[in-house]
Amino acid sequence: MTQRKFVRVGALVFAVALLSVVGVYLARGTPSGGKGPRTPWGAPDLQGIWSQQTDTPFERPAQYAQREFLTEDELAARNKELGERPAHSMYRDTRKQRGTEQDVAGAYNAVFQADRPNKSGRRTSQVIDPPDGRIPSLTVEAKDRQAAVKKYLDDLLQGSSGGRPGAPIADKSATHPPIYNLERMNRADGPEDRAGGERCFGAVMPAIGALQRIVQSPDSVEIFYDIGQGGGFSRVIPITGMPHLPSTVRQYYGDARGHWEGDSLVVDVTNFTNRSEYRGSRENLHLVERFTRSDVNTLAYQVTVEDPTTWTRPWTAIVELNREDDKANLVFEQTCHEGNYGLLGMLANTRAAERLFKERKGPDPNRMDLATGGGGDN
Amino acid sequence: MRSRLTLSIVVAVAVVAVALVAWSVTTTGQATRTARTPDGHPNLSGIWQVTNTANWDLLAHTMRPMVAQPGVYADVQVLAAPVVALGEAGIVPPGPGVVEGNDIPYKPEAAAKKKENAEHWLDRDPELRCYKPGVPRAMYMPQPFQVTQGTNKIQMVFQYAQASRTIHMDEVNSPPADTWMGHSVGRWDGDTLVVSSDNFNDRTWLSRAGDFHSDAMKLVERFTPITADALRYEVRVEDPNVFTRPWTMKMVLYRQLEDNAQLMDFKCVELVEETFLGHLRKNPLVKRWDGDTMTIDITRRIPPVDKLYER
Repeated sequence: MTQRKFVRVGALVFAVALLSVVGVYLARGTPSGGKGPRTPWGAPDLQGIWSQQTDTPFERPAQYAQREFLTEDELAARNKELGERPAHSMYRDTRKQRGTEQDVAGAYNAVFQADRPNKSGRRTSQVIDPPDGRIPSLTVEAKDRQAAVKKYLDDLLQGSSGGRPGAPIADKSATHPPIYNLERMNRADGPEDRAGGERCFGAVMPAIGALQRIVQSPDSVEIFYDIGQGGGFSRVIPITGMPHLPSTVRQYYGDARGHWEGDSLVVDVTNFTNRSEYRGSRENLHLVERFTRSDVNTLAYQVTVEDPTTWTRPWTAIVELNREDDKANLVFEQTCHEGNYGLLGMLANTRAAERLFKERKGPDPNRMDLATGGGGDN
Repeated sequence: MRSRLTLSIVVAVAVVAVALVAWSVTTTGQATRTARTPDGHPNLSGIWQVTNTANWDLLAHTMRPMVAQPGVYADVQVLAAPVVALGEAGIVPPGPGVVEGNDIPYKPEAAAKKKENAEHWLDRDPELRCYKPGVPRAMYMPQPFQVTQGTNKIQMVFQYAQASRTIHMDEVNSPPADTWMGHSVGRWDGDTLVVSSDNFNDRTWLSRAGDFHSDAMKLVERFTPITADALRYEVRVEDPNVFTRPWTMKMVLYRQLEDNAQLMDFKCVELVEETFLGHLRKNPLVKRWDGDTMTIDITRRIPPVDKLYER
């Protein structure tokens, strides 16, 4: 090899090497520039415990039209209004008349509710796109899907205390819901009749505004969501450029792949199942999440939600999360299933009611409402 | 002179080029990664799993039926009803054991309870209910877990049952109540990650062989790199309510090196509902009951080939 040839080959090798480096960087994304703290390896630092500490309506009230932010006066008025609202919903006595079917049915959900923030955010809504701050209309297909589910659930309430008590009792024989049931149903023949939340499947993606802990390494970001009454979950988002799982594999929290775009971690989530649901969307849900640390105390979480079988167009919501005290460490492990005597009780009590009715010792269980908490007004 | 300079430049460029190619290759997939973090500690981030049979039995053991019944010989048990149709898949794989000295120093009454637990494994093991595995059991389940090594937390997420644990490398308050996965605080001792854990409840087990502990259990775990892709894992178990002295398990955690390695859904809650709530169905799938005991019909179709030789 002549020296000149050697130089040329060397240059070629160098160029190929450079291209492959650039290629890898493009695949993983390059964190660059920007504000906010950074990790020792130079990426934007998303770590810490984060929660939504201000109150912002999810969809925009009509009065604000296309306006994204509150004026100072509006902010002051909302803060005053929220300040007068009891911070702890559990301190409000919302119980029905003691000992009634409604009182017993409400016992669980009336107690276990998180605090609501008593400070307003600056935004008029969390939904920022479409520009009117409202979730776009459902597709005809999605409306039909929801109508079929609603009809199925309504039919099971026929003749019970929760729906048209005078009407003939519903035929509760083993008919299947039109899609995998995740709702409160007026039947408890088996666990599949109970709502997702009652089976500890209550926490779903996207967990907008959830209390969460983020831990980060150069090639993965781990998020633990402390939500869903102990039914929260962990996700580990690879930032390695690896492709998504084959589309035949379906997961409750989807399949996430992350990369950096400037200061934002962008996460593409696909492969959802038809056994979890977000606002009417199931297996065709596609999310693009953006995590951006805007300053020491703020992490912006933006998510674009897309499902052409559910909404007429994609839409985007944003929530600004604030940092919780690391030392206080107020994030708790998720053990919904481990203590879920509620589901067992629902089934056992329904079987007991059927037995007592048969022995002429109790009322007709078909007249009971196991779905709406009795009275159909909850 | 000039040509020698050119040559050395070319060689330098080539070396850099090869290094860059090597670097670009090593930063994709799970295969290889830097052995150290920017702050100089061993890099534990990645997906890990044991290859041993500790979740079956911590002590040295031969193969045995997962659920056994007496066979023709009193001392040679055969597969029993719940696993008889499984054939080979119903056998506990053998293992040389992970306990130092091959002895778990149970107090006498605790040893009796351990034995009883093993005999009633199907009814008692919290793993079969898909409950959180606790620590140390989570570390040697036959499923992977992923470590995300942050700047002041090391997070471990286990594929089994969506369990996770946070190892706090900074100072935090203890949880206000007992927990399934414990409260873990870590520090570096040279290249060894040392983790002290407490705040456990008494509801998790240590293996399918009925090994158990109380809420007084305290652990000290040591993670020491052997190579960038293998960690020596040691855990010292101390629980004066159950054991006469502290004892230690030793095993190796291996990094998953496949390019497509990732944690996947193992939300077993849904699939164990039939086992633990099936008897509360309006129309149970199990047809026969004797008091609190369900008798499950086993269906095993004899393959045509077997019939051929049965003539």
